Amino acid sequence: MKPFARLVAVLVPLALLTASCVGPTDNTQLIVNTNDCTGCSQCEEVCPYGAVEVIDGNAVIDPALCHFCYRCVEVCPEGAIH
Amino acid sequence: MKHLIILIALLVPSACMSVTLDGWMDYQTGGDSLSPLPGRLELGGMLSGNSWTFVLDERYSHRDSTGITPRVLGSYSVTDADLAIEAGPVTLNPDVRWTVDLGEIPEMVLPDAAGAAFRRGSIRPGLTLRGSLAGSVELFASGRYLNRDLEQADGYDLDWAETRLEGGASWATPWGPTLTVAGLGRNIRSDFIGYDVSWSRIDLGLGLAKDGLPLDLQVQGEISYSIYDGTDYTDRDIADRLTGRVRLTRMVIPSYLTVNTTFEAVFDVDGDDFRTACTSGEARVLYRLPITTVVPSTVSLTGKLALSSIRTSWLELFTRVNVWRGLSLLADARLRETPTDVQLAGPYRQRLTFGPGLEYRFGEQVRLWGLVEQERTNLQEVEVWWRMRAGLELYPGTLSF
Repeated sequence: MKPFARLVAVLVPLALLTASCVGPTDNTQLIVNTNDCTGCSQCEEVCPYGAVEVIDGNAVIDPALCHFCYRCVEVCPEGAIH
Repeated sequence: MKHLIILIALLVPSACMSVTLDGWMDYQTGGDSLSPLPGRLELGGMLSGNSWTFVLDERYSHRDSTGITPRVLGSYSVTDADLAIEAGPVTLNPDVRWTVDLGEIPEMVLPDAAGAAFRRGSIRPGLTLRGSLAGSVELFASGRYLNRDLEQADGYDLDWAETRLEGGASWATPWGPTLTVAGLGRNIRSDFIGYDVSWSRIDLGLGLAKDGLPLDLQVQGEISYSIYDGTDYTDRDIADRLTGRVRLTRMVIPSYLTVNTTFEAVFDVDGDDFRTACTSGEARVLYRLPITTVVPSTVSLTGKLALSSIRTSWLELFTRVNVWRGLSLLADARLRETPTDVQLAGPYRQRLTFGPGLEYRFGEQVRLWGLVEQERTNLQEVEVWWRMRAGLELYPGTLSF
């Protein structure tokens, strides 16, 4: 298989699988992608509920305090919160 | 007393032997018509001995709304002090994080409709203990206590404290998979407003990693189940969570093209209700230009899509072309979609940010960079503004004593 075909063979099924899934309409705990998070604290700076804390270089969101305002999602410069 | 003196006399010289000092500085600034001259300065140093390290990191940050998102913390300083002492297979790691809010006093929305409070700062001491047994079992335990200096408008201290206790073990089995068991207990309380909330979590995980595959591929798979006991801010039970993640890393197609992909599926288990909580996919393609330069010339394309109760997407093309010695031309174009908190806009906001830049590297010690960007974002109407960003990073090197 040629290199480009190999790339397509891996990426296309993953993209289709992701796009075919529909998430819930109800609020659910936010997820921090620890591979992308740089611990820059911008999420901590915008959270009005004190729900975000940077621990060991990664943002941690407390499910008891989070009010789902999504400000952290909006400002994250790495797109690491979803 | 005599034994203590002997012990100190033995420990101090050995601790002082072959001590090294590393330092760093990172300064970033920028500005546009909405965010005049925000800045971030980080200064840090690490002292290392034979069996210990001490890191002191001081960060001063002054940022406003990066356009439009209100910031609770505008100007503040954070001091992190972190000591790690190794004693055989055990590492003892006390640390403290001290935050002081500067400038305008920020507001925090209190739970249980208790109004708002003004935040002066916080202090968070912590202690982590790590150990390994027979090389294949890793144990850890950590405890953190966060005391927030919160006051109501009339000056009453809210006596706000948070504790976080964690512990767990992982076992790298001889058959390949890694098994993990961990627990977390959390308590948040403010005696003044009578708020006292606790929740806990138990994590059971299984991880697999395989390399040496065709295309120099590394595959990592993780599956974990988290059992929660507690409620969210609406007093609804926090659902248990099943997470599956597959990561294909360092997939070298030809030698100059590397692809990393991650796929994640998360499910919430709420009593008999089993529902999709989130699915996400991410792919990063890195193309290294086939020319030999001081700094590698690269083009990277990143795409991310996550679907949960919200939708986030991200597409970025970043280029660095080295033109002369350490001088490189940069170009960045980023299109992203997120929910927005901006009044009368949304519920989603699309942003396109693009612009050129320059970077100069003096070896590994100094990096100087600057970018000029235009951002187009759809709020009530499409807003366009220009922004300049610049930064200086210094790594003077290691000093030995």
